Amino acid sequence: MSTPASGATASSTTPLSSVAAEFVGVSQVYGSSVAVDNIDLQIEQGKLTTLLGPSGCGKTTSLRMLAGYLAPTSGEIRINGVDSTRLPPEKRNLGMVFQSYALFPHMTVADNVAYGLKLRKVAAKERDARVAECLDLVGLGHLADRKPKALSGGQQQRVALARAIAIRPSLLLLDEPLSNLDARLRVQMRTEIRRIQSETGLTVVLVTHDQDEALEMSDAMVLMRAGKIMQTGSPTDVFTAPANRFVADFLGYENFLDFDGRGLITVRPEHLRLQPAGVPVYAGTPSSANGFVLPATVTSVAYRGTDEIVTVTTADATPLKVSMHRGSSSAHLARLHPGDAVDISASAGDIVSLPAEAA
Amino acid sequence: MIRRPKLLLLPGAVVLVLAFLIPSLAMLFSPPSTSTGEVFAKLGAMLTDPYDLTIIARTLLFGLIVTAICILLGFPIAYLLARSVSRFAGVWLALAIFPLLLSTVVRTFGWLVILGSNGAIGQIIVALGLADRGPQLLYTPLAVVLGMTQLFLPLAIISCYSAVAQVDNNLDDAARGLGASRTRTLWTIVIPMSLPGIVVAATLVFAGATTAYTTPYLLGGTGQRVLATQLFTYASITVNWAAASATALIMTVLVFLVSGLSSALASRKGSIS
Amino acid sequence: MRNRPFLFTLAIVGYVIMIVPILFVVLSSFTAGSTLSFPPQGFSLQWFEKALAYEPFIDSLGSSLLLAILTTLIALGLGVPIALAIARSNLRGKAFVQSLFVSPLIVPELVIGLALYQQVMITLRLDSFIALMLGHIVILLPYAVRVTGATLALGDTSIEDAARGLGASPFHTFRTVTLPLMRPGIISAALLSFITSFNNVPLSLLLQSREFRTFPVTMLDYVQQSYDPMIAAMSTLIMAGTVVIAIIAERTVGFAKIFGGINK
Repeated sequence: MSTPASGATASSTTPLSSVAAEFVGVSQVYGSSVAVDNIDLQIEQGKLTTLLGPSGCGKTTSLRMLAGYLAPTSGEIRINGVDSTRLPPEKRNLGMVFQSYALFPHMTVADNVAYGLKLRKVAAKERDARVAECLDLVGLGHLADRKPKALSGGQQQRVALARAIAIRPSLLLLDEPLSNLDARLRVQMRTEIRRIQSETGLTVVLVTHDQDEALEMSDAMVLMRAGKIMQTGSPTDVFTAPANRFVADFLGYENFLDFDGRGLITVRPEHLRLQPAGVPVYAGTPSSANGFVLPATVTSVAYRGTDEIVTVTTADATPLKVSMHRGSSSAHLARLHPGDAVDISASAGDIVSLPAEAA
Repeated sequence: MIRRPKLLLLPGAVVLVLAFLIPSLAMLFSPPSTSTGEVFAKLGAMLTDPYDLTIIARTLLFGLIVTAICILLGFPIAYLLARSVSRFAGVWLALAIFPLLLSTVVRTFGWLVILGSNGAIGQIIVALGLADRGPQLLYTPLAVVLGMTQLFLPLAIISCYSAVAQVDNNLDDAARGLGASRTRTLWTIVIPMSLPGIVVAATLVFAGATTAYTTPYLLGGTGQRVLATQLFTYASITVNWAAASATALIMTVLVFLVSGLSSALASRKGSIS
Repeated sequence: MRNRPFLFTLAIVGYVIMIVPILFVVLSSFTAGSTLSFPPQGFSLQWFEKALAYEPFIDSLGSSLLLAILTTLIALGLGVPIALAIARSNLRGKAFVQSLFVSPLIVPELVIGLALYQQVMITLRLDSFIALMLGHIVILLPYAVRVTGATLALGDTSIEDAARGLGASPFHTFRTVTLPLMRPGIISAALLSFITSFNNVPLSLLLQSREFRTFPVTMLDYVQQSYDPMIAAMSTLIMAGTVVIAIIAERTVGFAKIFGGINK
């Protein structure tokens, strides 16, 4: 109940601490199902943090608790150092972009963007200036008088962004903003959002289930599964050193092996090398102690344009996927058929060790 | 999210209780100048009295016949319109639905012009030389059935239309591709899948037909008494409150039974499919 | 379509039954003769003049309009909050609440009228106008709840979340976002309610008094006493008025939305 007496909004001036928002022991429990399980998370000021995970992992629930639409069943939510757990959404001064964009259909684009400013009693002249500024930021200045239904999906999304930014929020929250866009637009908007974030310096929390999106846009990634945080870190950290099988699997490490007492290890399909059995090992293929060479049998070959995927099975029936790019190695592929004997190898530097699985 | 929804429900609930629930209960248990139990005694008497039983039977019979005819005529209209590619389908639909915006009086008394001995039909029959005088078709069961059919057809059409419209066109094409004729497709695909909507149509028509007042009154006269006209007689003319309440109870139970039956049918069908 | 003669024939029979009586009424109203018969004799607008000059008609028309407008407004005032409570809260037993407020639809109108006649007019000795108002409000409430409820159910709730996130209080959100979006539903409900009240016979029949009679009831009485083209002319006028309202409704809201609210 820490509402300032002067107005209805929480402070939006830059705090001294670099933590813009914090989850402290937050849980969301409905009856016997646990949507969010006692998470601790710090969102760093001025950075773009992504909550990434499969559907049902608790990322959207966490975002909604941060925004104030859902009260945590336990724990604390701090915004700019202030305990905001019980604060209603209209008092948190956060900008939120919904998956469905949620534009007001009965208002023009300009009125949509101005809505939050009118509530804050911003003077008309300054209001108009800010609306124009935000619309220019997203590249839609020329559509100010249109109604939402006359806009394409991508344009609606940008209006939603402009509307959220206009109120100068302390945090910008995006709930799967790109899922409803077609593939080409999605890629375009990733760059757009990144640009807007760096131009405004806003702290952004973005929820997505798309790992490519997260890797491309984030300063910090938070991987979630079944209500728990599986790993946090920069994209490079998370990608090159996944902390557990779930993260590795989610990020596309499709090969999991456990042999010769090594414990659970994983290698990316792009880092496995394949040669027909019996062909002498080239220089450069692993011969050091921690790399490996395994015999295997080809089960299928699939051409994907940018690469070829060869699925093989090892002697102990472990399936492996090898991604081969056009180039010297593809010369073999013209002659690869299911049933062929091959050797699969990986260098030590490409092998990631994972903790043993609990379940 | 609304924090205290019950506040919003309160005014409506108060009105409903005071103007609907309480008067309805009082109607059964303490009508004016009658003692409690008299209503139910009268009810028992009515259910054994041949005069009253005839009225109940007539009401039910009218209901069943009108329902059957409305489905028989209404479903084809709904089907043809729902599957039509013509630009005028909308106009025909509007034409069928428009009468719902008019009062029953306006819609019904046109039959007086048609069915009287000097009415249109009578004149045609005389002109064709089939009889010397036009037959008096008014105040006959036929008149009531015609009047109620006219009244409830639009209702049947609306329900059947939305049911047929929801049956995917592609299913028709699939059946035809497998070798089914159009008629066979109609009977084996469209009708079974529209059945819930047809049941709704039948329920609405039956409920309406068994409780209709204006049509039996105008077109049926004293010879074709039904529950609704009896109720009015008891309430306004003979002022027999117990009888009026008992009649009201019979009417209401009839309608509830039919609604309940069709809901039960609907949920059973739902669980089978 | 022409090659389905059986279905077509049935359809034609259906349309004949529905349209012909109304058609005859309209045509008979233009007769120059003095009896209500078909075919009409000659062409004249005399009966329209007479109808518009006939006091009981005009008086009861005014009464019906007054009653319809009042009860529609009250029913909406009671029903819209209910629809909101059902669609936008965590109320327990929503389905039950909804069916409770929609329940007057299953009870025959004559029964509702009888109950009010007995209890409000006779037992409580209240004015018939009050009983009439109550009766009409009771039968209009289901439309107010269900039709506006349908509009709310279709809407995107994240729009209201968005308004809250931008700083709007719950009431401000209602006023600037929810209510404007409910407009089509409210208009549909209003039109349906108005028509239902205006055309109502059973309730208005039982709950009438010498001072206050509604239009359909006046027409009913007239048909039994004097059977002449004036009633046909009056009917034609009413039909014309209804067509005008229907066209206005189509332009502002659209037929589909209105009749979507009738279906169970």
